[in-house]
Amino acid sequence: MIDKRLFDLPGMRQKVVTLAGLVLIQAIMIILQARYLAVAIVNLWELKPLGTIILPSCIFAIAFMMRHVITVVENRTFFPFVEETSGKMRKDLMKKIFKLGPSEIEKRGTGNMVTMALEGIDQVQTYLMLVMIKVLDMSITPWLILVYIGVLQLKQAAFLLIIYPVIILFMIILGLAAQSKADSQYEGYQRLSNHFVDTLRGLSTLKQLGLSKQYADNVYSVSESYRKQTMATLTIAMTSTFALDFFTTLSIAVVAVFLGFDLMDGKVLLLPALTILTLAPEYFLPIRNFANDYHATLNGKNAMTAVLSVLNEPEIKDNEVLKPITWDLNSQVAFNDINVTYSNAERQALKDVSFTARGYSKIGIIGKSGSGKSTLINTISGFLTPDNENGGQITVNGQRVPHLNQKNWQNQFLYIPQNPYIFHLTLAENIAFYTPTATPAQINQACEKAGLSDWINTLPDGMDTLIGEGGRSVSGGQAQRIALARAFLDDSRRILLFDEPTAHLDIETEINLKRDILPVLNDHLVFFATHRLHWINEMDYVLVMDHGKIVEQGTPDQLASQNGMYVELRKEMEENQL
Amino acid sequence: MKNLRKTFKNDSWVMPYLRKYKGLLLLVLFLGFMTFFSAGALMFNSGYLISEAARMPSSIIYIYIPVVLARAFGIARPVFRYAERLTSHNWVLRIVSDFRKKLYQTVERKAVAIQRSHQTGDILSILADDIEHIENLYLRTVFPMVIGWLLYIFVIVGVGYFNLVTAAIMAILPGVIVILLPLVSVLTNGAREFQQHQIQHQFYTNLTDEVIGLSDWLISGRYTDFLKLQDDPIDKIAALRRKDHFYQWWRGLFVQFIILLAVLVLLIWTGIQFTDTKWHADWVAAFALALFPAVDPFLSISQAASEWPIYRRSIERVNQLDQDTERKLPAQSDLAGKFENLTIENLNFSYDDGGKNIINNLSLTVKRGEKVALLGPSGTGKSTLLKLIIGDELPTDGSVTINGMSVAKLQAERSRIFGVLDQNPYLFNTTVMNNVRLGNPNASDDRVKEAVAAVGLQDLIESLPDKYNTEVQEAGQRFSGGERQRLSLARLLLQDAPIIILDEPTVSLDPITERKLLDQVFDLLADKTIIWVTHHLAGVAHVDQVRFLNHGEFTMAGKPGDLYQSNDHFKQLYDLDRGK
Repeated sequence: MIDKRLFDLPGMRQKVVTLAGLVLIQAIMIILQARYLAVAIVNLWELKPLGTIILPSCIFAIAFMMRHVITVVENRTFFPFVEETSGKMRKDLMKKIFKLGPSEIEKRGTGNMVTMALEGIDQVQTYLMLVMIKVLDMSITPWLILVYIGVLQLKQAAFLLIIYPVIILFMIILGLAAQSKADSQYEGYQRLSNHFVDTLRGLSTLKQLGLSKQYADNVYSVSESYRKQTMATLTIAMTSTFALDFFTTLSIAVVAVFLGFDLMDGKVLLLPALTILTLAPEYFLPIRNFANDYHATLNGKNAMTAVLSVLNEPEIKDNEVLKPITWDLNSQVAFNDINVTYSNAERQALKDVSFTARGYSKIGIIGKSGSGKSTLINTISGFLTPDNENGGQITVNGQRVPHLNQKNWQNQFLYIPQNPYIFHLTLAENIAFYTPTATPAQINQACEKAGLSDWINTLPDGMDTLIGEGGRSVSGGQAQRIALARAFLDDSRRILLFDEPTAHLDIETEINLKRDILPVLNDHLVFFATHRLHWINEMDYVLVMDHGKIVEQGTPDQLASQNGMYVELRKEMEENQL
Repeated sequence: MKNLRKTFKNDSWVMPYLRKYKGLLLLVLFLGFMTFFSAGALMFNSGYLISEAARMPSSIIYIYIPVVLARAFGIARPVFRYAERLTSHNWVLRIVSDFRKKLYQTVERKAVAIQRSHQTGDILSILADDIEHIENLYLRTVFPMVIGWLLYIFVIVGVGYFNLVTAAIMAILPGVIVILLPLVSVLTNGAREFQQHQIQHQFYTNLTDEVIGLSDWLISGRYTDFLKLQDDPIDKIAALRRKDHFYQWWRGLFVQFIILLAVLVLLIWTGIQFTDTKWHADWVAAFALALFPAVDPFLSISQAASEWPIYRRSIERVNQLDQDTERKLPAQSDLAGKFENLTIENLNFSYDDGGKNIINNLSLTVKRGEKVALLGPSGTGKSTLLKLIIGDELPTDGSVTINGMSVAKLQAERSRIFGVLDQNPYLFNTTVMNNVRLGNPNASDDRVKEAVAAVGLQDLIESLPDKYNTEVQEAGQRFSGGERQRLSLARLLLQDAPIIILDEPTVSLDPITERKLLDQVFDLLADKTIIWVTHHLAGVAHVDQVRFLNHGEFTMAGKPGDLYQSNDHFKQLYDLDRGK
């Protein structure tokens, strides 16, 4: 019932002791409140003058207010702890995202991560706030009340004690039945509920096919069958709440009737009888509250599991093994029998990859889709970690490293993917992302070299125009040029990693962009993954990949003279000559 | 109040449905009221029962009725509650069906067949969420509030039957809870809600920057900047939540205080009113105990009201949709005879907002069976031209005609004239069979299978355990990009329209897959007229003429073979594309 992980949260145990004390006082207040209201009523019932109820009424009023003030005090005591814990969890999550790196995050879905950091943590907060107090309330209050009722009349206490497990049993049985029914329907259910968004997203396709008008009735009829299925499930799902409601309310009625009979027989006096009657609903209140918030707690519990599983994800260690380097003409990085396996995959994504890159050479990486080009680039950038079982080696300037997620490696290169990410910042800030201290003059110069100047001149705010999500939109070619300007601006990074930078651009944009990219390739070590083969003409070494292996490597001329994969790829491209 | 009136001024989403399902609505409210009435009555009756029993009457007859009633109310409360919850959900889901149809029809009116941005999808999810919000508006705000008010009126009337002064006091005290506090909550929360929305938006933007731009953060080594970016919104969100919680707690305490006063008033009043005889005094306990179970709905009213600002935004947004009217088209007619030619004459187009011309005095004739490739950088009007051709947009000046008839007049049978294959043809979350059959709903299973075989997917589909009944999953995830395109091509074959619009269908494919798909497309559609927007020159040998569009004008045009011989720029582009 209670999540053991909660007690592992720092500071939780101490808070629980304080809270338990408060709940105990609160339970006493509940008893006092019931007792003195009963005293006042009985005084009136005995036709005593109105003055005689002043004292009991006052005690009732004070106990009543104390009880509710304690609720606020409980919340106030516990909240700072919850706030700190969930705030820390959110910041830890951000740190973890940074530590895990892009390929790990992509695996979990970027949308998922955003939702988790935003709504997930909110749910955890609600969960923490609810669950501890409710559980304490449930484990202290009813039993204190029961003891007091037992002191007044043992028979009623026995009845209330026996009914309690019966209620819980019924709730569990019905809850499980509802659950299995819901589970069996879940898939169809899910599909129906997604059907609407699915239809909306495919609307332009429907329009193309001339079906969009008549689909309106389909939307309605699917929604109606969704309603019927939902109602069928709800009818059962709600029985468990119904059971709780039914037994608790009926128990109060039964208590009242029993008390009535006992009073008639003179076995009990009005005062204790009335007290018991007033206390009976209070006895059931904690479990009802707990059941009411059950769904909120369940969501929170799941959210917490998700957050904790990310936080407990192992981080890549040893990322300061590499001593500081400055890449120059004499530097060298070597891969020797490197294997890479994605954590959820069976097959290796890279197999026995070996190559050596020296100085400022330009290395093209080609191959079909899925041949491992991006995996190789991601391993070079350190976003992926090689397997360490088979004795493969990576060395940088002769120094052996377990992987390339090295601080002193990552400050040596720039990475230009197919869709460079544009931050929600000004154009200047975007370009100076790697070098926040660059002067406007330096930024302007970089823009000039990257061929951005003409475009910038058309912008109302020039370099200070806000771009990225919600700002001015940036075309694919411009995004590439922004990434290029970053490279021009940062002189200290002498390694460039390209991953399909021009695949999605139109041919005229590509040819113009190529003209501006070529100068930056000089004096850099370049890794260039692409299936646009014209780039290979600018490279001085080529790795040809297939099924995760390097099947050929050499200078373009060497490869052209062999009758291998390289020649085959070239031939494929050159078919259907005009 | 003024806001409220503004929200509902042009409302076609909330009020009409309240009227349409009036009967069920009244039932829900009745059941909700009876739930709490039974709860109060149980305590009222029990209080009377034991007071009467304590007089030790000579016969059980004296307490017989209360004994029966106790059981009746004890059972009635949970039953009413169960019925109320089922009925209210049923009611809301009924409305949701209506909503969905209405939203679909509203969006459908403005939808276009040529579109590239994915953002539209996000806007649509927002609208879908809005509908859910309105659902919650009923379940969490309207129902509890109305039931609370009914209960409030019942208490006043009940007490007023005995004593007007007490009734007046009871009108004021719980009145604070059911009328004053909700108003105050809406006001304070309205401002806070707005602020919260802003901060969450900032958090969301920063978060997207951090998560999607993570590799840049990592490589740049700006770890501290990365963490600092979120500190501010995280703290602000926390502060706001704190305020909100504190407000709720103190408000809850205040509500309890008012209830205490009400109980005391009832106690004193019964002490005066019912203590003339012993028999009357039995009612004291009844009145004193009856109020407690009624506290529940009173407690939730203020919270229900404070959620209003969220709902208001949703209501306003969906109502806004209705303001967009359907575009006006001339009287529709049929295309007489076979398709012969598509003629674009002196075409000009600019969007209504008075921007610059996107299409500039463009002319083009495409005869039956001819194949045209259109190229040009992004933003030069390729998509706009396609929209004008199929009639999603109407020319500012000039004309687009088919067999001499304006396309504006042919919109009703557009899908029999044009077939479209775009970058991301949508596969619906259903079976392969259903998806392909969308091309022609009357096609037999065999014809669907033929089409699948024609695009070369027969072996793949038949190797799957469920064959043609395989689910394609959300947005067709079950299949690769190339396979999705081919399934859509099969759909297009069934549709069998004379003109095919290809809108960069291969942009996300690798060159070999691209070449295979293009070979297949032009092979299968050999007898069709094709207008093909493409971003490079792979496969351009398949077409009769190629045209480069730049700033709304054709800058280069001709047969690809001729251009290659005579035009250096074209030759350079073509060679580049082939890896030279």
